[in-house]
Amino acid sequence: MNNLEELKQELKDLNLQAAKMRDLPPEKRAEFGRDLNRKKQTILDKIEAAKKAELDIAAEPIDVTAWCGVNEPMPEFYPTELGSKHPLMTELDRVVGIYQLMGFDVIESRQLDDEYHMFDSLNFPKEHPARDGYDTFRTEEGLIPPAHTSTMQHRVLKAYKNNLDLGKPIAVVVPGRVFRNEDVDATHEHTFYQCEGVYVSKDCTMGDMLGILREFFEKYYEQKLNIRTQPGYFPFTEPSLEFMIEKPKSLGGKKGDFLEMLGCGMIHPNVLKIAGIDPTKYHGFAWGGGIDRLVMLRYGLGDVRYFESGNLNFLREF
Amino acid sequence: MKISLNWLKEYVDIKIPDDELIRLIGLRLVEVEGVIDETHKYDNIYVVRVEKAEKIPDTHLTLCQINTGKPELVQVVCGAPNVREGMLAVWLAPGATVPVSVHEDAPFIIGKRKMLGKYDSEGMLAGADELDFDDKHEKIAEINPEIAKPGDLLSDVFDLKDYILEIENKSLTHRPDCFGIIGFAREIAGILGQSFKEPELLTHESVFPEGFFKSVADGVVSQDENLEIELSDQTLCPRYSAAVIRASEPTVKEKYLSKMQVQIAKSGTFTHSKIVDVTNYLMYLTGQPLHAFDFNKFVAIGKSDKPKIIVRAAKTGEKLTLLDGKQIECIESDIVITSNDVPVAMAGAMGGITTAIDEETKNVLIESASFSLYNLRKTQMAHGIFSEAITRFTKGVPVGGTFNVLAGSIKEIGGKPISARDCYPQPIVPSVVKITTEEINQLLGTNYSKELIIKTLQNVSFEVKESGNNLEITPGYWRTDIHIKEDIIEEIGRLLGYDNITPTLPLHQTASKNQMFELKSALRNLLSKYGANEVLTYSFISERLLNKVGQDTKNSYRITNSISPELQYVRQSLIPNLLEKSFLNEKLPVNQFAIFEINKLYRKEWGLTSEDVPVEQTWLAFTIADRKYNNKTAFYQAKKYVDKIFKDNNITATYLPLKEDRPETKPFEKKRSAAIYINEEYVGVVGEFKKSVRSDFKLADYLAGFEINLDLLLKNASTKKRIEFTKTNSEDVTITSEKNYAEVLAELEKEYENTEILPVSIYQADNQSSKNYTFHIIHKL
Repeated sequence: MNNLEELKQELKDLNLQAAKMRDLPPEKRAEFGRDLNRKKQTILDKIEAAKKAELDIAAEPIDVTAWCGVNEPMPEFYPTELGSKHPLMTELDRVVGIYQLMGFDVIESRQLDDEYHMFDSLNFPKEHPARDGYDTFRTEEGLIPPAHTSTMQHRVLKAYKNNLDLGKPIAVVVPGRVFRNEDVDATHEHTFYQCEGVYVSKDCTMGDMLGILREFFEKYYEQKLNIRTQPGYFPFTEPSLEFMIEKPKSLGGKKGDFLEMLGCGMIHPNVLKIAGIDPTKYHGFAWGGGIDRLVMLRYGLGDVRYFESGNLNFLREF
Repeated sequence: MKISLNWLKEYVDIKIPDDELIRLIGLRLVEVEGVIDETHKYDNIYVVRVEKAEKIPDTHLTLCQINTGKPELVQVVCGAPNVREGMLAVWLAPGATVPVSVHEDAPFIIGKRKMLGKYDSEGMLAGADELDFDDKHEKIAEINPEIAKPGDLLSDVFDLKDYILEIENKSLTHRPDCFGIIGFAREIAGILGQSFKEPELLTHESVFPEGFFKSVADGVVSQDENLEIELSDQTLCPRYSAAVIRASEPTVKEKYLSKMQVQIAKSGTFTHSKIVDVTNYLMYLTGQPLHAFDFNKFVAIGKSDKPKIIVRAAKTGEKLTLLDGKQIECIESDIVITSNDVPVAMAGAMGGITTAIDEETKNVLIESASFSLYNLRKTQMAHGIFSEAITRFTKGVPVGGTFNVLAGSIKEIGGKPISARDCYPQPIVPSVVKITTEEINQLLGTNYSKELIIKTLQNVSFEVKESGNNLEITPGYWRTDIHIKEDIIEEIGRLLGYDNITPTLPLHQTASKNQMFELKSALRNLLSKYGANEVLTYSFISERLLNKVGQDTKNSYRITNSISPELQYVRQSLIPNLLEKSFLNEKLPVNQFAIFEINKLYRKEWGLTSEDVPVEQTWLAFTIADRKYNNKTAFYQAKKYVDKIFKDNNITATYLPLKEDRPETKPFEKKRSAAIYINEEYVGVVGEFKKSVRSDFKLADYLAGFEINLDLLLKNASTKKRIEFTKTNSEDVTITSEKNYAEVLAELEKEYENTEILPVSIYQADNQSSKNYTFHIIHKL
């Protein structure tokens, strides 16, 4: 009798015991029932495992050092025309490529970080309502899947601090995946991509920030663009702005049709200070914006949910 | 938040067109989410006098003849109980749209009709609810004859041709002052380059007669000293101002429709009683929420002759029934207002039912205070209270304004103060910011003159003193957000318009490469070139999915506030998601596909970095499937792909039978999978999946995959490529052996030096234990 049959017999025995419940005084029945169910579940789990083992035991071994099966033709790659890169990654490569041409290094963002990098080092006062605006997830340990790529700002400043002593600016972009605890619909995803930019030097100005951002978007959309800003609020920049571009004509934009592209501002002196940079000597600016939106706009996509769907009917279009 | 443009115009002189103003507000103050056009909402609506009112027998209806300002009277049938001869009412003329229905899908347009089959009725007499100023349908609205006459357009009487701005609250998190009309208007004056005239309302001198107060250690108190205030913790409540006034008339809804009712309705709150209306009106006007208690009830609850207000932290489990009828069980971060230690209100959130104002209220206690925004934020979250008051308190109501607004309320109510107290133990010293014109221009990249900078700041009531090269700037008490130079720079940049800053491009160094980023990009190109499709899947997976592939949930970081059980664990391997997506695509159906994902992974077993955050690794996973290829071994096709990756990076990988268990190898069938090594270091797994796993995921037979560690791949990669372009000759060799491929190859390599040996085929005849291995041997000359 094999293991599986033994287990099945055990289960039968257990089911027979269930009949005994009637003979027990009512106050003991509940306890008895719970105990029985626990035992039953253990056996059911074991049966499940045994069934799996039985399925797997039939597998025929193969020579894993070889390059083809016995009496089989050599395997082949699939034809190139079936292949595709994910549109978000293609676009992220393009975005980063443009910034690299402009002299920005690339550091990728983490996908699991802590309160310190996500908030504290960015001048968010403890328990400040601004922290609520980010709808963060948290792990049991209090770790945070970051809600913005700014979670890397402090690290970038520290890692590149030496540039400043050498008379060179800090210029870094940070692409990465970020997370927000929100319900998913056609225009909202809990998982999406952002690209952050950080620039610090002795004498940079807000004019420089606007110039770099305009340059980027003009290169990205391959045309001249009108830009606009509106006041914003982020604890880690002061002044803070929302940056907008007039929707490119090639994408069906009309005059006066402005799109919010990203948040930006001059880095708050406290953020520089926390990273060990003297804010009386150096200034900086930073920005961060979503990649998904750029891609949707570029391809005229109406539903953000396709990106993480893994659906090849969608992905093979790219 | 809703802001009435007309109300703003009462405090600031606006000469530019409305659409231009709205554009400027967006550019220089706050995001305007929407604009509600109410310029035609009250068209064809008039003030009329009821000249005759006759009851229609056996009905609740009244037949009215009304004076609409024209010689002929108009006949209207009215069902309201309060209609009477001589009153001024509001008439919706035929063709008017009932205002409350204006934004509905099918707005209700009033016409002429016959009532009860014989009475002609033209238009209707409207209730305040139909006019969108009240939520209760009780009676028709009555207009004070002192402010209107028959034939006046209602919109003229109450200034109703308006635009309502819908403001995105989040973008004003740091600006409690802008949660009131006055603060908002001050900003508009600044944006328009005009100086703002601070309204008298914000001073208290005119309300309390001279000698009313005397100074005490913690503030001022009325001479009668009949109001005690104890602040148990000044971080919870740094200032509490309160006054007792006699209610001059029964505290019921006002007889006449008033401008105040109209203004609070436009802001989002309907009329209640004069006193409560005043508290709401001042909140919308100043951003300072007020609360009115029935003073007699308040004193009775405290069971003491001398009323004593104690503001303190709530005790856990303390119960309080709020005005909306909900019973709250306090948490310790809540702040409660108590009468002699008996809780009567949840500070900053909502009043309690036991001290509510009602028709019997004789004396009113008005509270104007500032509470800890941090505590109130917790209160808001814990109890789900989202009142207009708490929305403002959680932005940090400025401590400096409580007393003035208290005085304003007494003035608006029109009563005389009996007792009052301003408890303000530690007055805040305003921060003075010193800055130079150069510092401002340097950060903005502008060339603004000193005069322009000073004028711009003075326009919004900043005090500016010149001292040498420096400007010494003192903000008004309402600007709790101004502390450092950058705060002043923001004011200048914003009020003068960021759009006036010329974009420039700084020049700097060339960028260096990020090798991992480049590697991932190259892998994407490589795999897609060979027909594979890149997918992205969520970083969080379910317990069910972890169990399906045999990965231990204890090794995954668990999200405590996940959206659903499907997204509860941070994944430790990419393969489970790829198996799920393989099933999805087989079902579509796509017959032949290879999918891959490159992403970051976290496992508890990897521990923490020197920064105390989890170690992260970048992995690449791949699955290949073909529903038609049932008689071939999928393993070899997956291996061909993985080895191509190594070859492209000039790495020689070794494939050994899979022995040990690791999270990523769990779903792989050991008898048909290989562990991959580079120089004896394990870097990943390639193989077919267990039958039990395939059946669990409902996947077809021809399926294989791999998962490899890209950090290790990168460590071993080299870009060194030697192109050999020499003459060669070649031969095919077949060896019959019972050994495995690697062993046969090793022997062959010993025999043929300086050659390249490529596999051609493996043949095994039926009933034979040995195999014929055929190789293609290229001799390098």
